[in-house]
Amino acid sequence: MMKRIAGIVLSIFLLLPVHVAAQDDTVSIGLVAPLTGDQAYIGIGVLQGAQMAVEDANARGPVFGDTRIKFVPLDDQHNPTQAVMAANKLVSDPNVVGVVGHFNSSCSKAASSIYHEARVAQISPASTNPEISRQGFDTFFRVCATDDVQAPTAANFVRSKLGVKKVVILDDQTTYGKGLANEFEKRFKSLGGEVLRHDGINQGEKDFTPLLTKIKSVRPELVFYGGVYPELALLLRQANKVGFKTTWIGGDGIFDVTLIKLATPALTEGIYATMLGVDPHSLPSAADFVARYEARYGQIGSFSAYAYDAANVLIEAVRRAGSEDREAVLKEVRLTKDFQGILGPVNFDERGDAIGKSVGIFKVSGGKFEFIEEVKPA
Amino acid sequence: MTAEIELFLQQLLNGLTLGMVYALIALGYTMVYGVIQLINFAHGEVFMVGAYLAVSVIALFSSFWIGAPFWVLLAAVFICSILGSSILGASVEKIAYKPLRGSSKLTALITSIGVSFFLQNAVMLLYGSKEQSVPEIVPNIHFSVGIFSISLIQAMIFATSIGFMFFLTWFVKHTRIGKAMRATAENPEAAQLVGISVDSVIRWTFVLGSGLAAVAGALFGMYYGSVNFHDGYLAGLKAFTAAVFGGIGSIPGAMLGGILLGVFEGLGSGYVSSSWKDVFAFVLLGGVLIFRPSGLLGENLPEKV
Repeated sequence: MMKRIAGIVLSIFLLLPVHVAAQDDTVSIGLVAPLTGDQAYIGIGVLQGAQMAVEDANARGPVFGDTRIKFVPLDDQHNPTQAVMAANKLVSDPNVVGVVGHFNSSCSKAASSIYHEARVAQISPASTNPEISRQGFDTFFRVCATDDVQAPTAANFVRSKLGVKKVVILDDQTTYGKGLANEFEKRFKSLGGEVLRHDGINQGEKDFTPLLTKIKSVRPELVFYGGVYPELALLLRQANKVGFKTTWIGGDGIFDVTLIKLATPALTEGIYATMLGVDPHSLPSAADFVARYEARYGQIGSFSAYAYDAANVLIEAVRRAGSEDREAVLKEVRLTKDFQGILGPVNFDERGDAIGKSVGIFKVSGGKFEFIEEVKPA
Repeated sequence: MTAEIELFLQQLLNGLTLGMVYALIALGYTMVYGVIQLINFAHGEVFMVGAYLAVSVIALFSSFWIGAPFWVLLAAVFICSILGSSILGASVEKIAYKPLRGSSKLTALITSIGVSFFLQNAVMLLYGSKEQSVPEIVPNIHFSVGIFSISLIQAMIFATSIGFMFFLTWFVKHTRIGKAMRATAENPEAAQLVGISVDSVIRWTFVLGSGLAAVAGALFGMYYGSVNFHDGYLAGLKAFTAAVFGGIGSIPGAMLGGILLGVFEGLGSGYVSSSWKDVFAFVLLGGVLIFRPSGLLGENLPEKV
């Protein structure tokens, strides 16, 4: 008797998930970003941006038929191995039709071949390394400018507007930082500038005094930094300790007010940063999103608005495709034309790179990033 | 020529400063290893917690007692982070390692890696994933003697580290607990037979090691100006390298290993390449393990993890 009851109970439990799945009409969108680990601070902002896009879409009603969007966030820890594992997990779920991610160029690149094989559309909000879209994968897209636009813009600005001749280049040896630094070096040299040194640093390292002491002795007019802001904050503080004064410029990875908090407003004064596009705070089209985001989570992350746009492009493609078929969604992502994102219209070229994304140049002044000029792509 | 000598002295000083911090952390590794032959991989996290406690104390002061003299602030920082980290170290020992006392060394080793992950993520959840900024409480003053120049915070790191190293040496040589520690390290069974409570010796070892790591953490936070929940990992790994380099289990070995490793890294990244900094450290570790497995000042131990 007991055995039979146990058997009945067990079979009910076995039936339950099947029953739920049949009733649950959803199509899944993945998100992968570093949610833990050393870059969690930035990945969480990406997660929150994408999550708001999904919630907004579901609040408007079913995306097609009576299907709603299910959000599947995964963590890649800023680690390409984990990125590949997350990608495999997503593509093995037949309900997943597209992915927003990854954040870091190294992770986006490592995962891109898996999405390509599985025919899952991948839209990165922030991976700026040019190489990723040159692998020939028709499943890769991004809503941000690439480093071969960003870094040469910085080089032009440094050479012609600031009139600097001698620079030192530092990079953090990541796919992103090194790529950015190399593009800068190429353009700066072609403009007749001189690169005194090009050194690498290790991400997560704390002590840069030996390096700064060495750079101080070659007397550059400016230092270009390819990397993210936590290391730059350390570099600035330690440069002050070894008595090294110069002008600094970096890419989108240093564009975060936390830099000013970490390195104090006094030491960050006069630092330049190129940013993909303009500050979302200054865009009327992003005002509503920024207000809702900041009311809910506090200070908006540097890439939250990009994640919101990337997720919306994907959701819109699912809506147009009107099916859970990966190939159909992929086709619609590719056909995206003048999608009205909060950061401006989104269009992709044949490689999946965003077209017409401008680069903004900012300067730290009085503890804030002040907008200097916007450079439209040639 | 003077410029070159000046540069060299500056690089040497940079390396020594870092080496002092490594040495303080390495002492905890080496003491725990000496007593229970455990490589406590959670030690780097105890160091990181020490740094976070220092940040919290400074933040508390800046909101409740603005304009406190900086030596009061420093004393509060050191006392709180030493106390907090020592309690943490002793609790980790009690909760995670003590129940495994009889089991294989590998079990405890793997447990320590688990504790390390746990502490990292706990701190991330408590303080958030962003870097924490450490307000500059030590004035940025430089002392110059001829071409040699040292900043106040660097001088402080030297004085504090050397002070604590002397204290530890005295403690281990002359106090009851210190003698019991040495006896336990030599032969735990015999120590127990003559009435030494091995449990309390182990607890004291963790308390002392964690306290030193907290000092290193507080100095580290104040010197570099920012702390992150991830900082314990690399610093711990480097300090472990230093401990093995000097001869794990040996207290003077850990001091020497830490200082040499810092200087080696400082000069290496100053004169060769900063991107190879970690390579220098770990090549040194590899070299020592091949040519002198017991380390510079270590005794020949038959078993190692």
